[in-house]
Amino acid sequence: MNHYEMPLVLFTVLCQSAIGLVAVNAFRQVSGPDMEPRRIRLEWLAAGLVLITGLIASVFHLGHPSGMVRALNNLGTAWLSREALTVGIFLALLAAGLLLMREKSNPVLAVTTAAAGLLVILSMGMTYSPPSFPAINNVLPFVFFCLTALLLGSSAGQLFANENSRPMMTRILTATLIVALVIYLIVPCIWLSGGEIMKLTAEQWLASPLYWGRIIIGLALPLVLIKALGKTPAWLWGLLLAGELMGRALFFAGTVHTAVNMGGVY
Amino acid sequence: MKKQLGFFVDSDRCVGCMTCAMACKNQYHQEKGVVWRRVYPLKEEIYPHKERAFYSLACNHCEHPACMHVCPVKAYYKRETDGVVVHEQEKCIGCGNCIRSCPYGAPVYNPVLKKAEKCSFCHQRLDANRLPMCVMSCPVDAIQVIDITRLDSTGLVQFAPGFPKQPALNPSVRFRLPRLPEVVRRKTI
Amino acid sequence: MTLWKKNDIETAMECPMTRRRFMKWLAAAGVAAAMPCGFLVPNETKAGIVYEGGYETFRNACPRNCYDTCSMVTYVKDGVAQFVEGAPESTFTNGGLCVKGNAYIRKQYSPDRIKYPMAQQGRGSGNWKRISWDEALTRISEKFIEINEKDESMLGLALTKYSGNFGITNYGVEGMFSSLGYTTRMVGTPCWPAGIDAQNYDMGNMWCNDPEDMVDARYIILWGVNPAWCSVHTMKYIYEARQRGAKVVCIDPVLTQTAAKADEYWQINTSEDGALALGMARHILDRGLVDQDWVAANSVGFGEFADYLKQEVTLEWAAEKSGVPARRIARVAEEFATADPATIWIGYGMQRHVNGGASVRAIDALVAMTGNVGKAGGGARYGHLMTWGFNYHAMIQQPPKGAKGFLGPTAKGEFDFTKDAEGPAYTNRTLNINKTARELLNATDPPVRALWVSCKNPLSQDFDRNQLEKAFKKMELVVVVDQFFNQTVEQADIVLPVTTLFEEWTVNVGYWHYWLSINEQAVKPLHEAKSNIEIAAALSKKMNELKPGSCTFPTDIDTKEWVAKEFNKGVYDLFGINSWEDLKNGPKKAKANRLAWADGKFGTPSGKYEFRSDLCAEHGFNALPKYVEGRKPYDKLRLLTPHTQFGLHSQFINLDWMEDFNPRPYVYIHPETARVRNIADGDRVLVKNKTGEVTITASLTDNVPVDAILMYEAWFKNNPYNCQNLVDDTSADMGGYKAGAPGVAIHDQFADLVKA
Repeated sequence: MNHYEMPLVLFTVLCQSAIGLVAVNAFRQVSGPDMEPRRIRLEWLAAGLVLITGLIASVFHLGHPSGMVRALNNLGTAWLSREALTVGIFLALLAAGLLLMREKSNPVLAVTTAAAGLLVILSMGMTYSPPSFPAINNVLPFVFFCLTALLLGSSAGQLFANENSRPMMTRILTATLIVALVIYLIVPCIWLSGGEIMKLTAEQWLASPLYWGRIIIGLALPLVLIKALGKTPAWLWGLLLAGELMGRALFFAGTVHTAVNMGGVY
Repeated sequence: MKKQLGFFVDSDRCVGCMTCAMACKNQYHQEKGVVWRRVYPLKEEIYPHKERAFYSLACNHCEHPACMHVCPVKAYYKRETDGVVVHEQEKCIGCGNCIRSCPYGAPVYNPVLKKAEKCSFCHQRLDANRLPMCVMSCPVDAIQVIDITRLDSTGLVQFAPGFPKQPALNPSVRFRLPRLPEVVRRKTI
Repeated sequence: MTLWKKNDIETAMECPMTRRRFMKWLAAAGVAAAMPCGFLVPNETKAGIVYEGGYETFRNACPRNCYDTCSMVTYVKDGVAQFVEGAPESTFTNGGLCVKGNAYIRKQYSPDRIKYPMAQQGRGSGNWKRISWDEALTRISEKFIEINEKDESMLGLALTKYSGNFGITNYGVEGMFSSLGYTTRMVGTPCWPAGIDAQNYDMGNMWCNDPEDMVDARYIILWGVNPAWCSVHTMKYIYEARQRGAKVVCIDPVLTQTAAKADEYWQINTSEDGALALGMARHILDRGLVDQDWVAANSVGFGEFADYLKQEVTLEWAAEKSGVPARRIARVAEEFATADPATIWIGYGMQRHVNGGASVRAIDALVAMTGNVGKAGGGARYGHLMTWGFNYHAMIQQPPKGAKGFLGPTAKGEFDFTKDAEGPAYTNRTLNINKTARELLNATDPPVRALWVSCKNPLSQDFDRNQLEKAFKKMELVVVVDQFFNQTVEQADIVLPVTTLFEEWTVNVGYWHYWLSINEQAVKPLHEAKSNIEIAAALSKKMNELKPGSCTFPTDIDTKEWVAKEFNKGVYDLFGINSWEDLKNGPKKAKANRLAWADGKFGTPSGKYEFRSDLCAEHGFNALPKYVEGRKPYDKLRLLTPHTQFGLHSQFINLDWMEDFNPRPYVYIHPETARVRNIADGDRVLVKNKTGEVTITASLTDNVPVDAILMYEAWFKNNPYNCQNLVDDTSADMGGYKAGAPGVAIHDQFADLVKA
């Protein structure tokens, strides 16, 4: 098993939840123009704080944090540079939103910011799907990251949404939970029928408490609770966050690198 | 086509003596646990006798190197003249992206310097008209420097069993497969 | 140069700097020493160490006990050895070393090196204190003088030394002992003596062709030898021979790395090599494939040998004994007899048996009867000492006037090139090195009181380790000269730091190839290390200071001059050089002697190849190379403890660079043997026999036979593993004639194992 890469776990999950918050907020701004600017700003501020926490965590991933700014040097080919750039743009738009939405909502800016967030997730999806991990050398990381954003955005957003939009957000969350549960249960089964490294990855995932922890705590239990309570309690995002952190730790630690089986069957 | 240097891994001659791997440490004095060239034993699914056939591998100096493409600080470059992929460690910020991305495990983490490092084909030796230390040291000529663009590849394979198939990277390595002796065991036949 | 301030062992062994920083520090220190303003040296250095060019180069030679004895080039900058290469001038070394040779830089600059003389308060306690050379030598000298006064001789002082450093000037250790008087010497070799004697009975000497002529062989049998690990530079000649059409057959109880590179591998029943060779001989005789002309012209006793074969040997019997199917034996025997030339390389492993010498004689006979002795590309190859004609100036020293010694029979080792002294009746007392434990315990009148260990690690290499520990405990003083705190140093009172090959002048030859290499001092000795002859000179000075006339060893020596003193016209002529300094331009290969027995003049009493050796019979063995039974098993499984690829006996394995590739020892077990004992791959197991026990990790492989287990001899830095816990000191049959003592039946050991 690789290292858990905790800085990367925190960075990606927190980044994605900030994007999710903004995206769901933007959706609400577009569909319900009567949102109070105060609530919007509070939500964006929360997103900003979450994002900055994630960025701070990412610093601990680097051997030489002082060289962080140079990470933008290779926009030509490195999705990591593009990730850094898009995160920067997203952060800038987030700040702009906080400044510009004092009086009223700004659906255009919100959607633009959400779109920038989607680009961040796309860059992340590309960065974390290298050829060395056959199981995730595909669209899966992008899908996983989108699911994280939606799950955490629509659950944490409950703290900021008004009464009218909560049922809609619960519908988004429920739908995402069902999709995520299906995907996370099916994907290892597909890997089992793939090449040796995919098979090893599936075995690692299925044998890991992190995998089952994320399935039960992060997906199945929230679904049951929503069904039982008929609404999304505000604290539910805590369970979802725990589930996503476990899932992300597994993503980094349990996904098998081709080099571990050198000399063996592929 | 310009020159593209690579390694010929002659598993038929290789005796797994690890000389090449240690020769690399002899030249570069890597920290404990940091190894650029490894001698991988073939698993029994591929060669029936345990730890009796090997691939000696370091960086494969790919035509399209994953390490170079994913490095955010451009710490890698590919030499125009011979296709050698060089890692400039002073530029490295230790993000680990190359280590994660190379399917061959060529870049490795130096926990003391907190940076990545890898085989750069002894390019300083090449420029001084010397063979890479591993090649020079091999007592059975089981690894050799080849120019992929001018290679007669008869009997050689690029993606040997036990070596990850990554045609998109086009690793500059060619293999000859190991032989099997006729084995006469006691109380058999 | 003082690197570390505290003088306790923990500090001496810790690594205060990383590898590269240490190298840079040394380099900077070198620069600093050379510059008037040393403090101006920049403290910023580049990230890595790379080839920079502009090096000063020195000639070195790997002095380990190895077939390959490589000629080396050392690249030095700022007074620091930066990296090594094989000498390109030697066609044998051919520019490349081995995994061990490439670790020399780490051996040189390892933080684990013994840096100063140290004294241990309580053997095995680890309570070491740094002492000065003066204090160490005073303590040692006082003890030696006390022994001499008590016993009226120096026989209470024993030396055990063997192959840790084969640099010729290191025979100055023996010289130092001679200069103290008549002492007790551990004589013999655990290595190759049964085969040496066998070849001496058959041919009158141990002598074989230049390995480089194996390219001309049309048929090669590698018999109980694993050159892929133990003589890796010879593999290229075997490959070349095969490319030219030769067939390669490997015979070994273990499917070795060499076996994997052969055309055909036979998993022989261990120690039944003699039966197999005789079965082949019988078949060759039956098929009329004997080289009658050669046999008639060059040998004696073939008729009797043929009669023996006809009466007592059959192919089926050989198949039954060896486990190799009869039709295989028949086919390879025919192929071998008809190939011209054909050769057999007889490994040292196959003679470490109670019938080892007899087996070598049977194989010699097989080679001789097919007319392959004396041919380029042919021969029964075992080893040779044809290039060792030095003066042994450091070795030959006179006892002090009036010294008293031993009266009685004594023995001489195979590397003892001194002439037998004429006149004085006194001699050294010789004890069998292969029974070191019991010999040290049993010696009386006087008992052994003090033991000096140099170029040897007895607690890792000698047999019956439990007894050996008792023997060490009995000593009044144990002095060990070494570079690392190994298991023998652990049992010492005083340890003295000795130089590495980079730090001393010497000269080296091999016992397999025909190359001669000078070993230059490439760097100044680190810390307070001294070479063996400098230690001898310093000891002599102290002895004479405390008791004038008590030691004859010169007290003021120039080590470079002492190298020059080892050369003579014979050496110069053999290698075609005018001066030893010519070797600074590269190693040289002997111009003669490279084709053994080509003229048919053998060194035997008859002057011929002796299928029937009366001398052998006189020494208590069969006159004919008859089959001799192996040792009766004393436990369920045979235990094999051969050489690892990662070390030369106990050296190199401890280095952290080597640990990157060989982190721990294993016992190799056949899957079936493991299955019935419920042992899985990676389990910890307890290996046990009448001698002792070892706890170790299991590795399952059918490379080892179902009735044997295997573990490699080794000394790991952070692991108490020691295979000698399980090896008793039972003698091989031969060795007493030319090597001073019979060999040891290292591979006639047995054990059983359970899950730990």
